[in-house]
Amino acid sequence: NILYDGLLMLLSNTVVSSLSLAALSPSDGRGGIYEDLKWKALLCCELPFAQTLDDGLSEHPPVGQCQLLNATKPESSSKSPTLSGNCLDILCWLEGEQTNLICNAKSHRAAAAASLFAVRPQLVVQMNVLSDEANHAAQCAGEDTAMCSISLHGNDATVSLNISISLNGSTALSPKMQVSTHHLRRPEPPVNLHYNVTTEGEVIFRWSDAQPNSDAINFEIRYASNSSLQQWEVVKVKGRSWVSLNELSSGIRYMVQVRCQSHINYWSEWSQPFYFTLGVSYIPAEIFTTPGSEVTIYAVFHNRSWSASKAVWMLNGQVKIPESQYRVINEQVSAVTVTVDEPGFDTLMCCHQWGERFKCIIAYAKIYTEGMFNADFTCQSKNSEVDTMSCEWNKSAWAQVRLLYRQYTSMCETISEMEGSEEAEENMECPSGAGDHRECTLRNLSLFSCYKIWLEVEGGRGKVRSFPVYVAPIDYVKPSPPSVLEATTLPNKILSVSWSRPRLPVYDMQYELRFVALREMANTQWKVIGPLLEPQAEIQLKESCIQFKVEVRCRRLNGSGYWSDWSMSYTSVVYNSKAPEMGPDFWRVIEEHPVRSVTNVTLIIKQPVLAGDPYSCVEGLVIEHRASGRAVWSNETTLAQFHSFQWRKEAHTVTVMSRNALGISTQNRNMTLSHQPKRRCVRSFSAVANSSCVYLSWSLLSDHPVPQSFVIEWLDLKKDPEQDVSLTERLQWVRVQSASRDLSLCRRFYGSEEFTLYPVFVDGEGEPVRYTATRGDPAAYILLLIIAFLSVVLFVTLLMSQNQMRKLMWKDVPNPNKCSWAKGMDFRQINTIENLFPHSEGLTACPLLLVSESICEVEIIEKTHPVTLEHEQDNEVPIYKSGNKTATDSALLADSSEPLSLEASTAAATPETSGQSSVTYSTVLRSDQPSLLRKQQESLSSSSDEGNFSANNSEISGSFPGGLWDLENHVCSDSANPRHSSSYNSVEEFSETSDQDYEASESTGVAKDLYYLEVNEEEEEEDEEEIEETQSEQENNEIVMKVDARPLLEGKKSTAVDSSVSHSIPLYLPQFRTECINPP
Amino acid sequence: MYFSVLLYPCILGMLSLVHAIPVHPDSLKNLVKLQADTIILRIKDHNEKLKLSPKLLIGDPELYPEVPANKPIQGLGSIVETLSTFHKVLQRLPKGHVSQIRNDLFTLLGYLKDRMTSMRCTLKEPANERSLDAFLENNATHHITFGFLALDRLKQFMQKLIVNLDHLKSC
Repeated sequence: NILYDGLLMLLSNTVVSSLSLAALSPSDGRGGIYEDLKWKALLCCELPFAQTLDDGLSEHPPVGQCQLLNATKPESSSKSPTLSGNCLDILCWLEGEQTNLICNAKSHRAAAAASLFAVRPQLVVQMNVLSDEANHAAQCAGEDTAMCSISLHGNDATVSLNISISLNGSTALSPKMQVSTHHLRRPEPPVNLHYNVTTEGEVIFRWSDAQPNSDAINFEIRYASNSSLQQWEVVKVKGRSWVSLNELSSGIRYMVQVRCQSHINYWSEWSQPFYFTLGVSYIPAEIFTTPGSEVTIYAVFHNRSWSASKAVWMLNGQVKIPESQYRVINEQVSAVTVTVDEPGFDTLMCCHQWGERFKCIIAYAKIYTEGMFNADFTCQSKNSEVDTMSCEWNKSAWAQVRLLYRQYTSMCETISEMEGSEEAEENMECPSGAGDHRECTLRNLSLFSCYKIWLEVEGGRGKVRSFPVYVAPIDYVKPSPPSVLEATTLPNKILSVSWSRPRLPVYDMQYELRFVALREMANTQWKVIGPLLEPQAEIQLKESCIQFKVEVRCRRLNGSGYWSDWSMSYTSVVYNSKAPEMGPDFWRVIEEHPVRSVTNVTLIIKQPVLAGDPYSCVEGLVIEHRASGRAVWSNETTLAQFHSFQWRKEAHTVTVMSRNALGISTQNRNMTLSHQPKRRCVRSFSAVANSSCVYLSWSLLSDHPVPQSFVIEWLDLKKDPEQDVSLTERLQWVRVQSASRDLSLCRRFYGSEEFTLYPVFVDGEGEPVRYTATRGDPAAYILLLIIAFLSVVLFVTLLMSQNQMRKLMWKDVPNPNKCSWAKGMDFRQINTIENLFPHSEGLTACPLLLVSESICEVEIIEKTHPVTLEHEQDNEVPIYKSGNKTATDSALLADSSEPLSLEASTAAATPETSGQSSVTYSTVLRSDQPSLLRKQQESLSSSSDEGNFSANNSEISGSFPGGLWDLENHVCSDSANPRHSSSYNSVEEFSETSDQDYEASESTGVAKDLYYLEVNEEEEEEDEEEIEETQSEQENNEIVMKVDARPLLEGKKSTAVDSSVSHSIPLYLPQFRTECINPP
Repeated sequence: MYFSVLLYPCILGMLSLVHAIPVHPDSLKNLVKLQADTIILRIKDHNEKLKLSPKLLIGDPELYPEVPANKPIQGLGSIVETLSTFHKVLQRLPKGHVSQIRNDLFTLLGYLKDRMTSMRCTLKEPANERSLDAFLENNATHHITFGFLALDRLKQFMQKLIVNLDHLKSC
């Protein structure tokens, strides 16, 4: 059993070792094992020992036998009784940059070198690189140990190894051994580590083997966040070169590495780290499409807090794509479908809604649409020492472009025929290369060649190009501006200008000239003249002596091109033949600085007459100062209006002279400033103003010398002192000859202005005299007069109204609803009223009633016949009118030609007085003159209104405009018929007037009956007492008629009136009261 | 003999003095301020020309830490380090409109590096360079948004630099 077990173990050991050899050693690596990047073998040889010593004369040395044993179990093999002592350990490895294979053979005897009697074996190692191309070989020898190296020339190879061992004259050869250098290296780590994202949001990492015939089957991938590189997450992968990692977070920078394991269990190094941050992934990230086709892009939100339902897609970062084009694939994946119509380049960004704004990351999807897009080229060339052409274009800011061009040797017009032929030069690129440029400058061009220019968008699988343009630079030249300008203002009012054209390009030029007067430069309004064909121009001017600023530009005469820039400005020279004769007139403003105790003097200089003498134009001023002590100095200025200097309060004489290039004026005006007491020479100074002129006059004292001249100054009130207009600029002045004693200033003046008269002597100024001229504005006076007049009229009117109102007696009219004849009537309805009292067209509306008033009115008209009740009842028809917006008087008496009027008016309350009771009163008059009576009716009606308002609302009383109207009517009535004049407005007056009437009627012998309408209103107790008093008076003086209203109203329906009733009652008409209610 | 012993230290001292003050601190501050203002203006112009929707928020400050955002200013060293990073970022942007900003930034860096040399400050090596390279590699293809983000952060840093010019006096 024990033997069986031992044999079995030996057998199994043999099998295992052979299997392991088979597994670990390739067929070409026979004889050894690969371990720790080394090849190992144990070679034991049997050498005949004694024979070799004894048979030294033998011709053929004895040959031993060698055997390769399992290198992993050297101890077991060394126990072999026959081979002990002649065994070699063989070790091979790669050296340095793995370019040399080194093999070392070492005898076991070397290990036992302590034996003094040992004979050292001679070893010879021979190595051969097995290659089809060349045989490299190396041979080395040594005692006990031999080391040999062979160059591999950088490639993997199989190296055969032969070892011979010689000892005591006998030699043994090793069996054939082969070492594969491929197994002495670590496998190369995988390359091209990257990740893809699926449309479901899965993140898949992929890699490739470094060598095409790699036998790696096991991989490990590890990742860690950048901040915690010590905490690796390792994932093992077997049999495939990809793995899905779904535990990654967004926004974190990760580092990922992968390694592989060869079939002999060597692990490669970790691959180059791959850094990434997950944010939003687009699938596909780039797409190439055609115009009009639909494109679907997916976006994966790796941020778990972002939801696909809140995705917002932006086109080119500018336009939000409508949500109807979105699709939610899952919680993290959104898709959009778009159609791009135009060729070119576009981008899509998927962002996340965050309030009103969209959170986005850097990444976006790119869409390249096939075809040619319009780049809208604009080129401009320059013809100078080096011809250049600058081209600009429009394109999407998102695209990186290259500008390419090609030069042709023929004209652009014929290029289309040449297109496709190979005569043209090679494509050339803009020197600035690819980028987000929008312009490119091409240099060293030929102006007369034709160039084809186009853009190419970088990226994508294909290229997107723009439409090419064919450009001849000569057609787009912007020349240099003209130079060497000369401009002269001539005395004959001509501005003569000449210039030089640019030398290149050599074609004919046209020019434009622009000029502006130098003194108008503040508001530059250039005048442009052109096109001019010659490099010179003469411009007719309105004035001479004016300097102009002149500029010129040019462009090609025939053909296209650009205008050059305007040339440098040139100021024209004024031509003069002599120096100016006279200096300008000037005055001064003296201002004392309160703090610095300095006196500033500003000269106000009248501009010299430029067009006076065209041959002696004034180009500037010379101001000469002469102080006491003979000190003289001068300033030279341009044609300024003001000149300031400090005055030291000593005698100081200033002279202002005109100058030009030929000299200064000889006749100049002086001014002497002095602090001496001033002479008084003006006796009086006065001013009279009218609407357009101010007349100033003055007189002098008789015993004083006559001044050299006078200066009158005043302030221009048109200039607002608050708007930083200095006193100097506001001051106006005029010089008057010494002989003059008055002055008329015709110009716009204001209401009040102060004029100061300065007598000017040769040695200084006399004492000034001031006068303030005032002038009223006529329009204001007229307005004032009108207001005053109106005030008087108003006052008189009010006074009269008050008088009349005081005399008014208000009577209430009984409410017709309470009358027996009005039972069942609804007086609030207009129809009812109209049915009761149809219109008579002969009566007109009362014009004075307020629009909102409701009027109830009764009118009785009586013929001039002797009064009979029958007659009256036939004629007297009370009229009720009611309305909200219009008030009309109306009377109806179809068969009455001579009316006796009885009028009852009821004015309803205005909205403010709505609901208050109103008063109605009536007057019965007889008249021989119906027309006049009509007038009186109107006036009566109006006065009734006034009375009503007065009764109901005291505040309104008196303010009603009817008063004025009454006054007019009163006057009119007075003039027409004084007898009727006072028969309105108040009962009180009425009663008095009645007396007069009565007397008058008696005196004239014409019966004038007066009728009253009695107030029957019981509710109006206050009025009742008054009315009763009135009645009692009237009963004493007049015939008082008491007429019931009912038969009166019935009479409207039927003119037949019961005469018996009429006769039985006195001629007294009851007064009515109605409640006229404004409709809501 | 004694004269020469005294002379050498004097010459050496003067040489070191000449080396130490190439630019007056105030004029350096002025230069830096002018250059920084110029860069800010150019960045504004550039980003406005893109006409991106004003609703877009590209890159939270905590995102993309490779591009400095809200980096503290602690002296010349930190300024130069941050600007170097920005310069490297801008170098990855395509030629064209950013080129001028890049040149301006390079000039500014030159001033500050000279100043550091004259003050004998130690120039720090930029940290996390590999991470920055990888970031640029991954994102430079999206040059519009990438440039917008980088320039916006550069603008913020320039604004901060303008109000911290006193830090130019320390390393």
